[in-house]
Amino acid sequence: MSHIMSGLLFNAAFGFYVIGLFHSGVAFLSKRDLFLRVATASVGVGFLFHTAFLVYRAIEMSYLPLGGLRESLALFAWTVSLCFLIAHWRYEVKALGLFLLPLVTVLMLGTVFIQTSPIPDALRNVWIYIHTTFMFLAYGMLVVTFFAGVLYLLQERELKSKKPKTFYHRLPSLGVLDDVFLRFLIWGFTFMTLGLLVGVIRAEQDWVQGWYQDPKVIAAAATWTIYLLLIYLRATAGWRGRRAAWLSLVGFASVLFTYLGASWLGGQHSF
Amino acid sequence: MDLVLVGLSHRTAPIEVREKVTFPEGRLRPALLNLVQACESNEAMIVSTCNRVELITDGARNGSVERVKEFLYSYHALQPPFLEKHIYVYREEELVRHVFRVASSLDSMVLGEAQILGQLKRAFLLADTEGITGRSLKRLIPHAFFVAKRVRTETQIASSAVSVSSVAVELARKIFADLRGKTALLLGAGKMSELAAKSFMKSGVERVLVANRSPDRSQKLAARFGGTAVPYCEVDRYLLHADIVLVSTNADSFLIRRSQMEEVIWKRKYSPIFLIDISVPRNVDPTVNEIENIFLYDIDDLQSVSSSNMEERTQEAALAEQIIDEEVANYLHYRSTQNLGPVMQRLQKRLEEICLEELHKSQNLFRPEDRLRMEEILRRTAKKLAHPVMVELKRPGITPSQRLQNLEMIKKIFDLDEDG
Repeated sequence: MSHIMSGLLFNAAFGFYVIGLFHSGVAFLSKRDLFLRVATASVGVGFLFHTAFLVYRAIEMSYLPLGGLRESLALFAWTVSLCFLIAHWRYEVKALGLFLLPLVTVLMLGTVFIQTSPIPDALRNVWIYIHTTFMFLAYGMLVVTFFAGVLYLLQERELKSKKPKTFYHRLPSLGVLDDVFLRFLIWGFTFMTLGLLVGVIRAEQDWVQGWYQDPKVIAAAATWTIYLLLIYLRATAGWRGRRAAWLSLVGFASVLFTYLGASWLGGQHSF
Repeated sequence: MDLVLVGLSHRTAPIEVREKVTFPEGRLRPALLNLVQACESNEAMIVSTCNRVELITDGARNGSVERVKEFLYSYHALQPPFLEKHIYVYREEELVRHVFRVASSLDSMVLGEAQILGQLKRAFLLADTEGITGRSLKRLIPHAFFVAKRVRTETQIASSAVSVSSVAVELARKIFADLRGKTALLLGAGKMSELAAKSFMKSGVERVLVANRSPDRSQKLAARFGGTAVPYCEVDRYLLHADIVLVSTNADSFLIRRSQMEEVIWKRKYSPIFLIDISVPRNVDPTVNEIENIFLYDIDDLQSVSSSNMEERTQEAALAEQIIDEEVANYLHYRSTQNLGPVMQRLQKRLEEICLEELHKSQNLFRPEDRLRMEEILRRTAKKLAHPVMVELKRPGITPSQRLQNLEMIKKIFDLDEDG
């Protein structure tokens, strides 16, 4: 019974995300705002189902569904769609859906195909949940940062080429993109710092042997340094636009490696 | 609907012809009253802009067209065949479509321009205050406003800029998002840069600095739109603070060099600069555009943005035409079904009247008690006679304009007065 329920919630969320993806594609091609509104509305509904799914799972299993890669993908998809909605409603960067919605869909699809491995009992505690949630919120925001950078590059190229085409009309201004880039960068960096701190304190308290040699920890530290560098260069040397976008590309690659690549090198993280 | 539209526009008549028949705004009211008198019309309006002169009156079937033409010739003191090959006449469905297209700016010289709607509104308002709008115009024109609004909101026909100064503002908005709090610097003085500066100010640019070799001229120019004159020798310093730079100097060589701008952008911490060079020959080194976060546009670039936006509008026009088709059908359907009921009632009443009239003529032939029964029989006969007519009018297969024509025909045959 409970499996049917959580399956239903998950499928509803997935379904609405796919509808949203489809409509945002149509909106871009047809330039009709109506499709865009449908797209955002269905992502919003999908997000609600997704939230209900996570809450339901948490109650059902009496711990937050964060064990294993599969459940982490679902959480990642959730933070990305949350960030999409924030970027859309708060900053009106509608074009981000073009990149974020396919990502959400792929993540959800991944959840379907990957088998879950239950979380070790030893790791079930509130600090782990805070650590993981913060890290994924950070990832979601840094994804937005990266794509805002990509959009900046596209719009900048349009403006420099002096032959405005689709992107010129459909993308927001450089000023808005830069603003979104910076805000999501700062928030993402903040969450990442907090998430890492919680992780480190937790590892120290539990006397986890050699936690600093864990490949994932090393990768995360590298990622954190890249973003710190980005913020530093932005503040002092005015790195924005093209340079910042390229550096955020490096940062994003590092996030992906930390998240997906480092696990294969072994270590204490189950994902 | 008994309206007819007689007119000429930039599509059919050159400016030499159009200028001879325009009605200046101040003299529009007497002209309209003259027209009403000359054509004995109950409803009339005149739309007169520099691109079109169109007169709408009722009485399409009573030779109004000729009378409107005569009015045009006599009012403007022209000799007859002068306008003949430039004039178009629309009735019925064509008229509805034309009015909708004009209101939506699909018939305008600059596709999607917004002025025509205002001009149409003023023309309608004038006719309305003079009390010469009736059933037909009061339905048609407001519906045209509605269609124009639909076209504007559902297509992108007017969303991108096409005039040079509005293109400059549009580009600035694509770079800075919000122009409030931004600073513009004008180098040199020219008509074009003045225009652009004015539209920048209108869009929220906070400060406009003016620098010219002659301090006198920059003072004057600055005073004209509330800018600040700054000494020309200190331009380098002001360049650091300017987000938008308009260059319209008349130097023979590059006044703004690449190395100079490289330094400026570095000092500004790569905060973007929109550089517009409208001087010919160009006074800004074109390679400045290669510098990160500097966007340099010369006059040709602005023109090319304008024409590409124009293309965008043309593409959108196809969609707008679909909306027009839809709305013309809606309107005609509405008009044809709306009149159906009253016309049928009047027809039945008329047939009854004819029958009863005959009964009255021969009432001596009947006993009074039979007369009542005869009346009843004749009433039913009238109903049965009207029935096939109603069936034909309501037949689902016919188009709204056919239905309207049939309605008009029946009204004419049976002499059914509009208000009877």
